[in-house]
Amino acid sequence: MMLVAKIALGMAGVAVAGAGVLCSEGMVTVKVVGKQPGGLHIHVIAPAMLAPIAVQLAPRRALAQTARQIQPNMPAIRAALEGLRDSGDVVLVAVKEPGQHLEVEKSGGSIVVDVDDTSETVHVSAPIRAISSTLDQLAAGSNSL
Amino acid sequence: MRQTMRRRTQIATALSILAAGMTALAGSAIAAPAEKYLHVNVQDPTNDGSVNVNVPLSMAEKILPATNNHDLHEGRVSIHNAEMNGVDARALLDAVRTAPDNEFVTVKDKDSDVRVAKANGNIIVHVIDKKNKEQTVDVTIPLKVVDALFSTTKNDELDVAAALRALSDAGDVLLVTVQGSSEKVRVWVDSRNTQD
Repeated sequence: MMLVAKIALGMAGVAVAGAGVLCSEGMVTVKVVGKQPGGLHIHVIAPAMLAPIAVQLAPRRALAQTARQIQPNMPAIRAALEGLRDSGDVVLVAVKEPGQHLEVEKSGGSIVVDVDDTSETVHVSAPIRAISSTLDQLAAGSNSL
Repeated sequence: MRQTMRRRTQIATALSILAAGMTALAGSAIAAPAEKYLHVNVQDPTNDGSVNVNVPLSMAEKILPATNNHDLHEGRVSIHNAEMNGVDARALLDAVRTAPDNEFVTVKDKDSDVRVAKANGNIIVHVIDKKNKEQTVDVTIPLKVVDALFSTTKNDELDVAAALRALSDAGDVLLVTVQGSSEKVRVWVDSRNTQD
Protein backbone atom coordinates (compact mmCIF):
# COMPACT_ATOMS: atom_id res chain seq x y z
CA MET A 1 0.00 0.00 0.00
CA MET A 2 2.82 2.32 0.95
CA LEU A 3 4.64 1.49 -2.31
CA VAL A 4 1.56 2.32 -4.40
CA ALA A 5 1.23 5.62 -2.58
CA LYS A 6 4.90 6.44 -3.27
CA ILE A 7 4.52 5.57 -6.98
CA ALA A 8 1.35 7.70 -7.21
CA LEU A 9 3.14 10.59 -5.48
CA GLY A 10 6.08 10.23 -7.85
CA MET A 11 3.82 10.23 -10.90
CA ALA A 12 1.92 13.23 -9.59
CA GLY A 13 5.24 15.02 -9.05
CA VAL A 14 6.37 14.22 -12.59
CA ALA A 15 3.00 15.42 -13.95
CA VAL A 16 3.21 18.70 -12.01
CA ALA A 17 6.84 19.24 -13.04
CA GLY A 18 5.96 18.43 -16.67
CA ALA A 19 3.04 20.85 -16.61
CA GLY A 20 5.32 23.46 -15.03
CA VAL A 21 7.92 23.07 -17.78
CA LEU A 22 5.23 23.06 -20.48
CA CYS A 23 3.72 26.30 -19.15
CA SER A 24 7.06 27.97 -18.39
CA GLU A 25 6.91 30.09 -21.57
CA GLY A 26 3.35 31.18 -20.79
CA MET A 27 0.11 30.43 -22.59
CA VAL A 28 -1.26 31.33 -26.00
CA THR A 29 -4.90 32.36 -25.85
CA VAL A 30 -7.22 32.58 -28.84
CA LYS A 31 -10.85 33.52 -28.37
CA VAL A 32 -13.26 34.12 -31.23
CA VAL A 33 -16.91 34.83 -30.50
CA GLY A 34 -19.36 35.37 -33.34
CA LYS A 35 -22.13 37.87 -32.79
CA GLN A 36 -24.66 36.23 -35.09
CA PRO A 37 -26.96 33.59 -33.64
CA GLY A 38 -25.21 30.22 -33.96
CA GLY A 39 -22.01 32.01 -34.91
CA LEU A 40 -18.45 30.85 -34.41
CA HIS A 41 -17.26 30.27 -30.86
CA ILE A 42 -13.63 29.25 -30.40
CA HIS A 43 -11.67 29.37 -27.17
CA VAL A 44 -8.18 27.86 -27.14
CA ILE A 45 -5.64 28.12 -24.34
CA ALA A 46 -2.42 26.26 -25.12
CA PRO A 47 1.10 26.26 -23.69
CA ALA A 48 3.23 28.66 -25.74
CA MET A 49 6.05 26.12 -25.72
CA LEU A 50 4.01 23.99 -28.12
CA ALA A 51 3.87 26.71 -30.82
CA PRO A 52 7.37 26.12 -32.29
CA ILE A 53 6.68 22.38 -32.20
CA ALA A 54 3.35 22.89 -33.98
CA VAL A 55 5.22 24.66 -36.81
CA GLN A 56 6.88 21.34 -37.61
CA LEU A 57 3.45 19.84 -38.27
CA ALA A 58 2.60 22.40 -40.98
CA PRO A 59 2.67 21.19 -44.62
CA ARG A 60 6.26 21.33 -45.87
CA ARG A 61 5.52 23.32 -49.02
CA ALA A 62 3.60 25.98 -47.11
CA LEU A 63 6.36 26.10 -44.51
CA ALA A 64 9.05 26.61 -47.14
CA GLN A 65 7.06 29.36 -48.84
CA THR A 66 6.46 31.16 -45.55
CA ALA A 67 10.12 30.79 -44.63
CA ARG A 68 11.23 32.35 -47.92
CA GLN A 69 8.88 35.30 -47.37
CA ILE A 70 9.83 35.86 -43.75
CA GLN A 71 13.60 35.34 -43.90
CA PRO A 72 14.61 38.73 -45.41
CA ASN A 73 12.68 40.53 -42.67
CA MET A 74 13.88 38.40 -39.76
CA PRO A 75 16.60 40.81 -38.52
CA ALA A 76 14.03 43.62 -38.25
CA ILE A 77 11.44 41.30 -36.70
CA ARG A 78 13.95 40.01 -34.14
CA ALA A 79 14.98 43.58 -33.28
CA ALA A 80 11.33 44.62 -32.92
CA LEU A 81 10.52 41.70 -30.64
CA GLU A 82 13.64 42.33 -28.58
CA GLY A 83 12.73 46.01 -28.28
CA LEU A 84 9.19 45.12 -27.28
CA ARG A 85 10.41 42.65 -24.68
CA ASP A 86 12.56 45.37 -23.08
CA SER A 87 9.93 48.13 -23.22
CA GLY A 88 7.13 48.79 -20.77
CA ASP A 89 3.48 47.93 -21.30
CA VAL A 90 1.94 50.05 -24.05
CA VAL A 91 -1.01 50.14 -26.45
CA LEU A 92 0.91 50.07 -29.72
CA VAL A 93 -1.99 50.61 -32.10
CA ALA A 94 -5.63 51.49 -31.53
CA VAL A 95 -8.01 52.00 -34.44
CA LYS A 96 -11.61 53.08 -33.87
CA GLU A 97 -14.26 53.30 -36.53
CA PRO A 98 -18.01 53.12 -36.22
CA GLY A 99 -18.77 49.50 -35.36
CA GLN A 100 -15.11 48.48 -35.37
CA HIS A 101 -12.34 48.57 -32.82
CA LEU A 102 -8.83 47.15 -33.12
CA GLU A 103 -6.18 47.25 -30.44
CA VAL A 104 -2.65 45.81 -30.39
CA GLU A 105 -1.04 45.99 -26.99
CA LYS A 106 2.11 44.88 -25.24
CA SER A 107 1.00 43.65 -21.86
CA GLY A 108 3.37 41.91 -19.49
CA GLY A 109 5.52 39.69 -21.66
CA SER A 110 2.80 39.20 -24.25
CA ILE A 111 1.38 40.76 -27.39
CA VAL A 112 -2.38 41.07 -27.11
CA VAL A 113 -4.62 41.71 -30.13
CA ASP A 114 -8.29 42.59 -29.66
CA VAL A 115 -10.68 43.08 -32.55
CA ASP A 116 -14.32 43.95 -32.08
CA ASP A 117 -16.48 44.44 -35.16
CA THR A 118 -20.06 43.94 -36.15
CA SER A 119 -19.69 40.20 -36.84
CA GLU A 120 -17.34 38.95 -34.11
CA THR A 121 -14.90 39.66 -31.34
CA VAL A 122 -11.40 38.24 -31.49
CA HIS A 123 -8.87 38.12 -28.65
CA VAL A 124 -5.38 36.73 -29.22
CA SER A 125 -2.63 36.78 -26.63
CA ALA A 126 0.82 35.28 -27.16
CA PRO A 127 4.04 35.56 -25.15
CA ILE A 128 6.76 37.49 -27.02
CA ARG A 129 9.30 34.73 -26.29
CA ALA A 130 7.02 32.19 -27.92
CA ILE A 131 6.41 34.44 -30.96
CA SER A 132 10.16 34.89 -31.28
CA SER A 133 11.00 31.19 -31.12
CA THR A 134 8.11 30.29 -33.46
CA LEU A 135 9.26 32.83 -36.06
CA ASP A 136 12.84 31.55 -35.74
CA GLN A 137 11.50 28.06 -36.35
CA LEU A 138 9.51 29.31 -39.36
CA ALA A 139 12.49 31.16 -40.82
CA ALA A 140 14.66 28.09 -40.39
CA GLY A 141 12.02 26.09 -42.23
CA SER A 142 13.52 26.54 -45.68
CA ASN A 143 16.98 25.50 -44.46
CA SER A 144 15.73 22.25 -43.01
CA LEU A 145 13.66 21.30 -46.07
CA MET B 1 23.96 46.40 29.68
CA ARG B 2 26.09 44.46 27.17
CA GLN B 3 22.94 42.78 25.77
CA THR B 4 21.25 46.16 25.25
CA MET B 5 24.37 47.45 23.52
CA ARG B 6 24.45 44.42 21.21
CA ARG B 7 20.76 44.82 20.32
CA ARG B 8 21.29 48.49 19.49
CA THR B 9 24.25 47.57 17.30
CA GLN B 10 22.13 44.98 15.51
CA ILE B 11 19.29 47.48 14.97
CA ALA B 12 21.76 50.10 13.72
CA THR B 13 23.30 47.58 11.30
CA ALA B 14 19.87 46.54 10.00
CA LEU B 15 18.85 50.18 9.53
CA SER B 16 22.11 50.97 7.74
CA ILE B 17 21.59 48.05 5.34
CA LEU B 18 17.98 49.17 4.74
CA ALA B 19 19.08 52.76 4.14
CA ALA B 20 21.85 51.61 1.77
CA GLY B 21 19.38 49.46 -0.13
CA MET B 22 16.85 52.29 -0.43
CA THR B 23 19.57 54.71 -1.53
CA ALA B 24 20.73 52.25 -4.20
CA LEU B 25 17.14 51.76 -5.38
CA ALA B 26 16.46 55.50 -5.48
CA GLY B 27 19.76 56.05 -7.27
CA SER B 28 18.96 53.53 -9.96
CA ALA B 29 15.48 55.01 -10.35
CA ILE B 30 16.96 58.47 -10.81
CA ALA B 31 19.72 57.26 -13.11
CA ALA B 32 17.43 55.29 -15.41
CA PRO B 33 16.17 57.63 -18.16
CA ALA B 34 12.42 57.52 -18.70
CA GLU B 35 11.30 55.60 -21.77
CA LYS B 36 10.26 57.94 -24.57
CA TYR B 37 7.34 57.23 -26.88
CA LEU B 38 6.59 58.47 -30.38
CA HIS B 39 2.84 59.09 -30.62
CA VAL B 40 0.74 59.47 -33.74
CA ASN B 41 -2.88 60.48 -33.44
CA VAL B 42 -5.24 60.76 -36.39
CA GLN B 43 -8.76 62.01 -35.75
CA ASP B 44 -11.45 61.92 -38.40
CA PRO B 45 -14.53 63.61 -36.93
CA THR B 46 -16.54 63.16 -40.14
CA ASN B 47 -16.88 59.41 -39.59
CA ASP B 48 -16.05 59.35 -35.87
CA GLY B 49 -12.84 57.42 -36.50
CA SER B 50 -9.43 57.59 -34.90
CA VAL B 51 -6.02 55.94 -35.15
CA ASN B 52 -3.58 56.00 -32.25
CA VAL B 53 -0.05 54.69 -32.52
CA ASN B 54 2.42 54.63 -29.62
CA VAL B 55 5.93 53.39 -30.37
CA PRO B 56 8.65 53.12 -27.72
CA LEU B 57 11.60 55.03 -29.21
CA SER B 58 14.01 52.41 -27.82
CA MET B 59 12.21 49.82 -29.94
CA ALA B 60 12.39 52.00 -33.06
CA GLU B 61 16.12 52.55 -32.36
CA LYS B 62 16.63 48.79 -32.41
CA ILE B 63 14.53 48.16 -35.52
CA LEU B 64 16.08 50.82 -37.77
CA PRO B 65 19.66 49.46 -37.91
CA ALA B 66 18.26 45.97 -38.54
CA THR B 67 16.17 47.09 -41.51
CA ASN B 68 17.71 46.92 -44.97
CA ASN B 69 15.19 47.87 -47.58
CA HIS B 70 15.60 49.91 -50.76
CA ASP B 71 17.33 53.14 -49.67
CA LEU B 72 17.32 52.35 -45.95
CA HIS B 73 20.49 50.64 -44.74
CA GLU B 74 21.73 50.31 -41.15
CA GLY B 75 19.56 53.19 -39.99
CA ARG B 76 20.62 55.50 -42.82
CA VAL B 77 18.61 56.68 -45.79
CA SER B 78 20.35 57.30 -49.10
CA ILE B 79 19.27 60.48 -50.86
CA HIS B 80 19.73 60.66 -54.56
CA ASN B 81 21.14 63.86 -56.01
CA ALA B 82 17.96 64.56 -57.91
CA GLU B 83 16.02 64.80 -54.65
CA MET B 84 18.44 67.39 -53.26
CA ASN B 85 18.11 69.59 -56.38
CA GLY B 86 21.74 70.58 -56.05
CA VAL B 87 21.21 72.17 -52.63
CA ASP B 88 24.08 71.75 -50.15
CA ALA B 89 21.94 70.81 -47.17
CA ARG B 90 24.88 70.71 -44.75
CA ALA B 91 26.02 74.24 -45.60
CA LEU B 92 22.42 75.43 -45.34
CA LEU B 93 22.02 73.77 -41.95
CA ASP B 94 25.28 75.26 -40.73
CA ALA B 95 24.09 78.71 -41.72
CA VAL B 96 20.78 78.21 -39.92
CA ARG B 97 22.51 76.84 -36.81
CA THR B 98 24.77 79.83 -36.42
CA ALA B 99 22.11 82.39 -37.24
CA PRO B 100 20.02 84.00 -34.46
CA ASP B 101 16.33 83.17 -34.06
CA ASN B 102 14.66 84.53 -37.12
CA GLU B 103 12.14 83.96 -39.87
CA PHE B 104 14.11 82.69 -42.87
CA VAL B 105 11.51 82.05 -45.51
CA THR B 106 8.10 83.61 -46.03
CA VAL B 107 6.17 82.76 -49.16
CA LYS B 108 2.65 84.01 -49.75
CA ASP B 109 0.70 83.28 -52.89
CA LYS B 110 -2.86 82.50 -53.83
CA ASP B 111 -2.44 78.76 -53.20
CA SER B 112 -0.39 78.66 -50.04
CA ASP B 113 1.46 80.47 -47.29
CA VAL B 114 4.81 79.02 -46.20
CA ARG B 115 6.93 80.17 -43.28
CA VAL B 116 10.25 78.68 -42.15
CA ALA B 117 11.78 79.99 -38.94
CA LYS B 118 14.26 79.19 -36.20
CA ALA B 119 13.12 79.68 -32.62
CA ASN B 120 14.31 78.34 -29.26
CA GLY B 121 16.59 75.71 -30.80
CA ASN B 122 13.88 74.43 -33.13
CA ILE B 123 13.31 74.68 -36.86
CA ILE B 124 9.67 75.55 -37.43
CA VAL B 125 7.81 75.12 -40.68
CA HIS B 126 4.28 76.46 -41.03
CA VAL B 127 2.26 75.83 -44.19
CA ILE B 128 -1.27 76.91 -45.03
CA ASP B 129 -2.64 75.13 -48.07
CA LYS B 130 -5.37 77.44 -49.36
CA LYS B 131 -6.34 75.14 -52.21
CA ASN B 132 -7.04 72.30 -49.81
CA LYS B 133 -9.76 73.96 -47.73
CA GLU B 134 -7.30 75.89 -45.55
CA GLN B 135 -5.35 72.84 -44.43
CA THR B 136 -2.54 73.86 -42.08
CA VAL B 137 0.67 71.94 -41.42
CA ASP B 138 3.03 72.78 -38.55
CA VAL B 139 6.35 71.02 -38.19
CA THR B 140 8.74 71.61 -35.27
CA ILE B 141 12.07 69.81 -35.34
CA PRO B 142 14.72 70.37 -32.64
CA LEU B 143 17.99 71.49 -34.25
CA LYS B 144 19.80 68.70 -32.38
CA VAL B 145 17.69 66.19 -34.28
CA VAL B 146 18.44 67.87 -37.61
CA ASP B 147 22.15 67.88 -36.71
CA ALA B 148 21.99 64.16 -35.95
CA LEU B 149 20.18 63.56 -39.22
CA PHE B 150 23.11 65.09 -41.12
CA SER B 151 25.79 63.58 -38.87
CA THR B 152 26.92 60.96 -41.38
CA THR B 153 30.17 61.46 -43.27
CA LYS B 154 28.48 60.78 -46.59
CA ASN B 155 26.79 63.71 -48.29
CA ASP B 156 24.00 61.65 -49.81
CA GLU B 157 22.84 60.00 -46.58
CA LEU B 158 20.59 60.89 -43.69
CA ASP B 159 21.25 59.16 -40.36
CA VAL B 160 17.69 58.44 -39.22
CA ALA B 161 18.87 56.21 -36.35
CA ALA B 162 21.03 59.02 -34.94
CA ALA B 163 18.08 61.44 -35.33
CA LEU B 164 15.90 59.03 -33.39
CA ARG B 165 18.49 58.86 -30.60
CA ALA B 166 18.66 62.66 -30.52
CA LEU B 167 14.85 62.79 -30.41
CA SER B 168 14.94 60.39 -27.48
CA ASP B 169 17.34 62.70 -25.63
CA ALA B 170 15.31 65.83 -26.43
CA GLY B 171 12.47 66.82 -24.14
CA ASP B 172 8.77 66.40 -24.85
CA VAL B 173 8.09 67.90 -28.26
CA LEU B 174 5.12 68.29 -30.58
CA LEU B 175 6.64 67.46 -33.95
CA VAL B 176 3.83 67.67 -36.49
CA THR B 177 0.26 68.89 -36.54
CA VAL B 178 -1.93 68.75 -39.60
CA GLN B 179 -5.31 70.42 -39.35
CA GLY B 180 -7.55 69.69 -42.31
CA SER B 181 -11.25 70.11 -42.86
CA SER B 182 -11.90 66.41 -42.26
CA GLU B 183 -8.82 65.12 -40.46
CA LYS B 184 -6.54 66.18 -37.66
CA VAL B 185 -3.09 64.60 -37.29
CA ARG B 186 -0.63 65.02 -34.43
CA VAL B 187 2.83 63.49 -34.03
CA TRP B 188 4.70 64.05 -30.78
CA VAL B 189 7.24 62.58 -28.37
CA ASP B 190 6.87 62.34 -24.61
CA SER B 191 7.48 59.99 -21.70
CA ARG B 192 3.89 58.78 -21.38
CA ASN B 193 2.89 55.40 -22.75
CA THR B 194 -0.67 56.54 -23.45
CA GLN B 195 -2.32 59.40 -25.34
CA ASP B 196 -4.77 60.24 -22.52
